[in-house]
Amino acid sequence: MKKTLNYLIVLLLISAIVVSGCSSNTESTGGNTNGKEGSEKTSLVIAQSADITTLDPQNSLSTNGDRVFRNMFSRLFNRDSKMEIQPELVEKYENIDDVTWQFNLKEGVTFHNGDPLTAEDVKFSLERVMNDESLKEYPYFTQIKEVNSIDELTVEIVTDGPMPTLLRLLAKSGADVIPKKYFEEVGIEEFQKNPIGSGPYKYVDWKRDDRVVLEAFDDYFGDKPKWKEVVVRAIPESSTRVGELLTGGVDIATDIPPNEWDRVNGESGISLINGDTTRVMLLMLRHTEGTVTADPKVREAIDLAINEQAIVDSVLKGTAVPVQSRVPEGVLGSNPDLYDSYVYDLEKAKSLLAEAGYKDGLELTFTAPKGRYPLDGEVAQLIASMLGEAGIKVNLQLLESSAFLDVYNSKSNKELIMIGLADGLLDASYSLVHYTKERAAGQTDYYNEEVEKLFHDAGRNLNEDERVKQYQKIQEIVAEERPHIFLFQQGANYGVSDNVQFEPRLDEVINFSDITLK
Amino acid sequence: MKKYLIRRFLQIIPVLFIITFVVFVLVYLAGDPVSLMLPEDASEADREALREALGLNEPFVYQYFHFIGDLITGNFGTSFRYNQEALPLVLERLPATFELAAASMLVAIIIAIPLGIYSAKKRNSFIDLFITGGSVLGKAMPNFWLGIMLILLLAVNYQLFPVSGRGSVMHMVLPAITLGTGIAAEMTRLIRSSMLEILNQDYIRTAKSKGASEMSVVFKHAFRNSLIPVVTIMGLQVSHLVSGALITETVFSWPGLGLLLVQAVNGRDMAVVQAAVFVIAILVIVVNLLTDIVYRVLDPRINYS
Repeated sequence: MKKTLNYLIVLLLISAIVVSGCSSNTESTGGNTNGKEGSEKTSLVIAQSADITTLDPQNSLSTNGDRVFRNMFSRLFNRDSKMEIQPELVEKYENIDDVTWQFNLKEGVTFHNGDPLTAEDVKFSLERVMNDESLKEYPYFTQIKEVNSIDELTVEIVTDGPMPTLLRLLAKSGADVIPKKYFEEVGIEEFQKNPIGSGPYKYVDWKRDDRVVLEAFDDYFGDKPKWKEVVVRAIPESSTRVGELLTGGVDIATDIPPNEWDRVNGESGISLINGDTTRVMLLMLRHTEGTVTADPKVREAIDLAINEQAIVDSVLKGTAVPVQSRVPEGVLGSNPDLYDSYVYDLEKAKSLLAEAGYKDGLELTFTAPKGRYPLDGEVAQLIASMLGEAGIKVNLQLLESSAFLDVYNSKSNKELIMIGLADGLLDASYSLVHYTKERAAGQTDYYNEEVEKLFHDAGRNLNEDERVKQYQKIQEIVAEERPHIFLFQQGANYGVSDNVQFEPRLDEVINFSDITLK
Repeated sequence: MKKYLIRRFLQIIPVLFIITFVVFVLVYLAGDPVSLMLPEDASEADREALREALGLNEPFVYQYFHFIGDLITGNFGTSFRYNQEALPLVLERLPATFELAAASMLVAIIIAIPLGIYSAKKRNSFIDLFITGGSVLGKAMPNFWLGIMLILLLAVNYQLFPVSGRGSVMHMVLPAITLGTGIAAEMTRLIRSSMLEILNQDYIRTAKSKGASEMSVVFKHAFRNSLIPVVTIMGLQVSHLVSGALITETVFSWPGLGLLLVQAVNGRDMAVVQAAVFVIAILVIVVNLLTDIVYRVLDPRINYS
């Protein structure tokens, strides 16, 4: 018995030693370090709400991943802070004919392992993403027909029909250039353990669900990286993210939810910075024959009964912008007349309903997500009560995220469904495809011959000014016919330490070197 | 004893089968993982292509038998979220979770043993009431609330400990307190009640009447015997530790098995959920078996044959 007790005590002691022994000290990578050298801060710590899921830049398709990859890998083009397309690896380029483009690469670009970046690497990277169906970025790259390396620094891309969005695609996630020789030597498994790119920051370490550590790549071909070390932490719990921000553990925290806004704003040393996103919250209305929303008067009445500005001011505390189009400002092809605008006229809504034969009111089902977007449930309830004031009885169906997606993807929603849609390409073609007959089938069942033609023509139009006009026209028609009723452009909310200067971008990507010390 | 062990080991197999089946059905019913992997406005064709590539288009029965077939060969399949084999993903998280569990157990023992003994000694005094009330409170406090409160008070306001993450011993203190408190509450009450029972036994009275010191009576005669139910409860707490770790690890961004499982469930990552649940089930079963064995060593009156 005594022995047993002794054993137990020894066991406890061993576990205590193991516990303290297990804890390898990783303080050197982020945590509370501010990487001070002398007095100058050289380390930047960013906290995201979710970890990256892979180190394969062509299989990520997430903003969290893109924030890391954008700084590790280079692409042929990039977007500047105004979302204009700028050459990155490209010295000059020309559009030889409708389907052929030629790109001359910059000289002297090297990967992090010292290998030179050549046309072969570009060809290899693009062919990988356009041929491998299991990659999440694959669907975006299907219009590229072939990629040829003409010589060491010249790449030719042939598209399937004229492709006005090619340069935007080459600036998008998934178009990252990976080193052919190294990748073929080690394979995807090993590549993920030690990824090699040619961006301003190179890979040091990734502890899953904890942190990604990057350090400056001194031989970067562009401007010298500003930070010696960048740590991207994953902190899923929002109050913990804010806690880290308050104690100086992180410099920038993304995705600050509405219940933390006042706290972040009220503390000294940190501020809440609001940016825009390409995500627009909208209602999809069925034009399907036999539904009440097939009547244009009913659709207009619904639009007029919703006061978007009131939703933005009350629920979202002014962090969003009311819109009448899915293409927000900053995305190519947006229509300024439909941005920061809304229609609201309750009396007219009532009289339209009466004209449509629903003098005694009408009933419809409204499906909305709860917990998928910031305050989505509250927004949906407010909309339901606004519609109620106009005499529309709403059966509100609030669903958690995956149940909601099941309804949305199976197209089994009734008259109204609320969803937030973003634009990964920052080009109106990406958003407006929803109004084509093929994409609307079963969802809104919207069809308009003029829209169909405009969309088809714009998709092959290499004259950018004309293309923009075509897209703007589509948006005018859509605002009138209302297959979607647009609510607002969703904001992005960052908590930022007062030590650093940070400007949010529309694409929500963070270029580490754009962040400076104050 | 040998027969008993063999029987116990054989029982593990159907238990694991039932667990994998239940988990498989639940994750399968929870929704389409592809919808969560692609943006909302991906076309049906895009989703279909990805489903096909990931083998999610097969009928349920086929998928299940395929999974079981792989399982028998020790393969849990590939996580489609991480695009890597599921089992190594799970195993690499074990050290972090073991570390947290051991630290929490330590916290629980440090709190529970002195309080439990003291409470029993001072039965029905104000202090006893206070400790008993405290343990009810400790049991009732949800982990996520306690974790967030500890962060606010000790990490943000007083900056004594890091807010989150894993690294030094200091990083471990708050999550261990969060996870250990509930277990400490349970243990305190159990030590108190088993001490009370033993302090009223004849042999204790005999020891006292022989003039043994108070300390000797409490520690040598009573506490040792009251350890038997405590060992049992420590074994049973393993499942509490795991379920508590899900929340505690999320609150503190502690990169262990709990956080991995939460993320995998959110992403419907079947392979990882299965591998994690499987590993947890084996851990719980093994610990329960060890508990029974230790129990027998502690109390020779128990006979398993």
